[in-house]
Amino acid sequence: MTSARLLGSLILRPLRRDRLRSGLTLLSVALGVAVVVAIDLAGEAATGSFRSSLRTLVGSTDLEITANGGMDETWIARLAALPFNARFAPVLETQAEIPGAGAFPLYGVDTLAGARPPAALPAGIDPDRALFVSQPLAARLSLHPSASLTLLLNDRPQTFQVAAVLPAEAEAEYLVLDVAAAQKALNAYGKLDRIDVYVSPREDFARVEQAIRGLLPPGYLIERPGARSQENQRMLRAFRWNLRVLSYISLVVGAFLIYNTIAVSVVRRRAEIGILRALGATRAGVFWLFLGEALMFGLLGSLAGVALGRFLASSIVGLIASTVNSLYASSRPAPISLGPAEILAGVVAGALVAFLSAFAPALEAMRVPPTEAMSRGAHEHHARLHWRRGLLWAALLAALALAASRARPVAGNPLGGYTAALLAIGAAALAAPALVLLVNRLTRAAARRLFGPEGLLAGRSLAASLSRTSVVAAALATAVAMMASVGIMVGSFRETVLVWLDTQLRADLYLRPAGRTTAGQFPALSAELQPVVAAVPGVEAVDVFHGLEFLYQGDRVALGGGILEIVRRYGRLRFLPGEDRDAILRSLPGQDRCIVSEPFANRHGVRPGARLALPLGGRVVPVTVAGVYYEYSSSQGYIVLDRSTLLKYLPRQPPTNLAVYLRPGADRRSVRREIERRVAGYRVVVAPNQALRQNAMAIFDRTFAITWALEGVAIIVAMLGAANSLLALVLDRRRELALLRYLGASAPQVRRMVLLEAGFVGLLGNTLGLALGAVLSLLLIFVVNKQSFGWTIQFHPPVGLLSAALLLVWGATVLAGLYPARVAARLNPSEVIHEE
Amino acid sequence: MFSSGEARCAPRYNGYSLTTSPRLELRRVSKTYPGNGQPLQVLHEISLEVPAGAVTALLGRSGCGKTTLLNLAGAMDFPSSGEVLIDGRATSSLNDADLTLLRRRRIGFVFQFFQLLPTLTVLENVELPLLLAAARGAREAALDRLRWVGLEEKAAVLPYQLSGGQMQRVAIARALVHSPDILIADEPTGNLDTASGDQVLALIRQAAARFGAAVLMATHSAEAAAIAALRVRLRDGRIESLERS
Repeated sequence: MTSARLLGSLILRPLRRDRLRSGLTLLSVALGVAVVVAIDLAGEAATGSFRSSLRTLVGSTDLEITANGGMDETWIARLAALPFNARFAPVLETQAEIPGAGAFPLYGVDTLAGARPPAALPAGIDPDRALFVSQPLAARLSLHPSASLTLLLNDRPQTFQVAAVLPAEAEAEYLVLDVAAAQKALNAYGKLDRIDVYVSPREDFARVEQAIRGLLPPGYLIERPGARSQENQRMLRAFRWNLRVLSYISLVVGAFLIYNTIAVSVVRRRAEIGILRALGATRAGVFWLFLGEALMFGLLGSLAGVALGRFLASSIVGLIASTVNSLYASSRPAPISLGPAEILAGVVAGALVAFLSAFAPALEAMRVPPTEAMSRGAHEHHARLHWRRGLLWAALLAALALAASRARPVAGNPLGGYTAALLAIGAAALAAPALVLLVNRLTRAAARRLFGPEGLLAGRSLAASLSRTSVVAAALATAVAMMASVGIMVGSFRETVLVWLDTQLRADLYLRPAGRTTAGQFPALSAELQPVVAAVPGVEAVDVFHGLEFLYQGDRVALGGGILEIVRRYGRLRFLPGEDRDAILRSLPGQDRCIVSEPFANRHGVRPGARLALPLGGRVVPVTVAGVYYEYSSSQGYIVLDRSTLLKYLPRQPPTNLAVYLRPGADRRSVRREIERRVAGYRVVVAPNQALRQNAMAIFDRTFAITWALEGVAIIVAMLGAANSLLALVLDRRRELALLRYLGASAPQVRRMVLLEAGFVGLLGNTLGLALGAVLSLLLIFVVNKQSFGWTIQFHPPVGLLSAALLLVWGATVLAGLYPARVAARLNPSEVIHEE
Repeated sequence: MFSSGEARCAPRYNGYSLTTSPRLELRRVSKTYPGNGQPLQVLHEISLEVPAGAVTALLGRSGCGKTTLLNLAGAMDFPSSGEVLIDGRATSSLNDADLTLLRRRRIGFVFQFFQLLPTLTVLENVELPLLLAAARGAREAALDRLRWVGLEEKAAVLPYQLSGGQMQRVAIARALVHSPDILIADEPTGNLDTASGDQVLALIRQAAARFGAAVLMATHSAEAAAIAALRVRLRDGRIESLERS
């Protein structure tokens, strides 16, 4: 009770008086927590929707049988002959594009075997054209039974008739055909993507599973339901981890500000602390008093942050979902769900950050001797004496960061990289006081020459308020460093991808089925297109590429087959240093050899000469790795075989893309027009390589849009912090500022002085931030990215962009000083001097 | 020693002539502060002429209105009624920029607690008023004043390295660096031992006698009051007595 009253009178009352500063601190915490909550909620919603909507249609299966490249439907009969009470349901699964509405899952299921969809079709509907539509999709498209609907399946538009609308849970938008109709529509006669197994509860499940395994060829995979969703979640782990870590930046920047707020609070109340201690308050009581202040900021800020985060999540879920679709797997955003667990996590995050950041100042408050009400001067004098100690600690943390950066990933997560980044931030924060003094000393003469007495006073005052100045500089530096490091990383990545696209996309024209492309989807091209295109005058060579989703040791990767002799002759595929491109590509045709992408090689620890056991159709084929090539389109990785090898094991695998090389001198436009004319009956896209590049870069930029947004929030938090801290500096130096007015300083001079201080803090923050950012960018590029995604990014800092961003941040810091400058200029000198 | 023309700013501004005898006059000055629901009148119709070249001491108990009167005389505050005239011109008729110019060129302040800027060296503290006024020869003038107060050798040290008496001498050097016509001193010896206090008082007397400043000094000390040509005793915001020596 006593503590609560003390908290009320000693802490809350002054905070109420100082509403603006209290509000800025609360806003900083709220923004930090909001970003964390928003990224978590949006990430969950964008990636948590892998559960196949088929489950809502046919209920839960017990086992799923799949095979890379699909399986023969005759296995249904053989499995059904097993002496168990089990049902085996054939499934085909693809994406169907509805022009103007988007792509939706299309399932081919046995409509006779299950109760839903209904076995009996309405009269007059052709069974091969009978389409079942889920209720939410039917409602969205205003479809009713017997309505016609044109779907783009692979490269062919086909028209179906709605046979029935299937009841389904909200947002489950999908289409269903009978499996035979689906095989016909997809030109996949006798082929299945999956067999779902339902085992009677009276059977011994283990025995049934064993019998099925015994019957099936070794290349077939038997998975428990949900395995696919888990694979997808695993595949997205690195992506979500990185987003999550980025979302913590604002909270880290906010931590500096809470530290600063509590430190200011302690400095201002030293006299009161001394009196309280003299009157019998315990050390622990004083300690908890200040932690109470921080926790109050943490809790209130977090609650506001959770609400704001829920709001922000709605606006970014689409962006994350589009990245997931482009880079990982097809998914639809699920509704955002903010439950008690998420609220608790947000509040705990904010409170924990508040607690940790206030710990040191609260400890300092506890140690104030009862007889001593120390002046700020003495406190700052100690801070000045301690800068060397800070520098030593900074060196120690930097050494630890270096050691952590060399650690191997833990369960695929670059924990060492993240730890190194945190340690580097800590090192920079501890080195900040030394830097403030150094820069101050170096610029002292110039500042006085350039800005007169205002320059002299601003520089001195910042050095004199070292503990405060260094915290605000460190907070700003952290935000700037994050911006710079992510800027350097993204800029380098972008440049690397641009160079890679240049080597990868060497053909003049590319053909693929029309419709949206999403990761893990390989819509088929009609086999007859290749000779049609090859016969067009001006075409020199056509590379036929077959892509398919592929399960390798439980990981979802991509398997490709192309005419590698054409790639060798026309392409510029780049292999890891020391590997002979020509010899590698020559060694593949007709052989059980493959090349793998760098991410695949890193993820699976594969080097040239390694043997991979590839489940292809029913067989498990031993394939030798001939080389490792640079690739940036999929962090899951690629295995590429020569087309002849792929077709040897998967003879019915359809092509998915054609790469067309023109004769020298051929007119690209007229050849393209001629190809488009000859393939007019098919829904295909004939695109020049520039269009592919532009599309790839658009996906790249969209992917990193959220990163930039997170950066922006961190910078805003840092700006709020700069305004807050400058205001604290002004309020703390009221006496000095008032005295200056007595000595003849004009109000504009005082204003200029505070703005100069803001500029100086901005300069320090930028300088330290840039140095720290360079270190963090190296960690991001060579540790975090390499361990998370497996690819090598070349170091290409975007100098122009960085310079502009730093200038902007610096300008914003000066702007953040406008209000404190106004407050300083409007102080009533006689009132202040009289008070003091 | 410094000459009266040194480091002085432009000879004329805003109608004030530095060649005429400086004069500070208070005419029926009252000051009221908004209190807690009830206004608090601190000064009641004070009229006073502060002569140039002499020390005028304000005496009285704490809370009698001495500091308020000093603030009004130093143009740091405005009276609620009546006028504070410097060379016949009311301070309340000046805008903020004019008041700043007035302080820069005509008024010096000395405080009980020295009020030196802890981050500046002694020399920088002393030259600060001239730097703020963008006056030339600031360094030389500051060194000259430091020499005058006997602290030239302390020019490069920071204030916390000085004794209280030394700090107050630095404060006097700073108050006089721009050769002001009016020196406002608020309990200048209130925080000093007797020996240091005597040194400070000697300097204040010199500022008036040798350099012609009109010195208005609030004090509780009998020694300080003894150097004054005019002693004004205040009681509850009113002049209780005037005594000339």
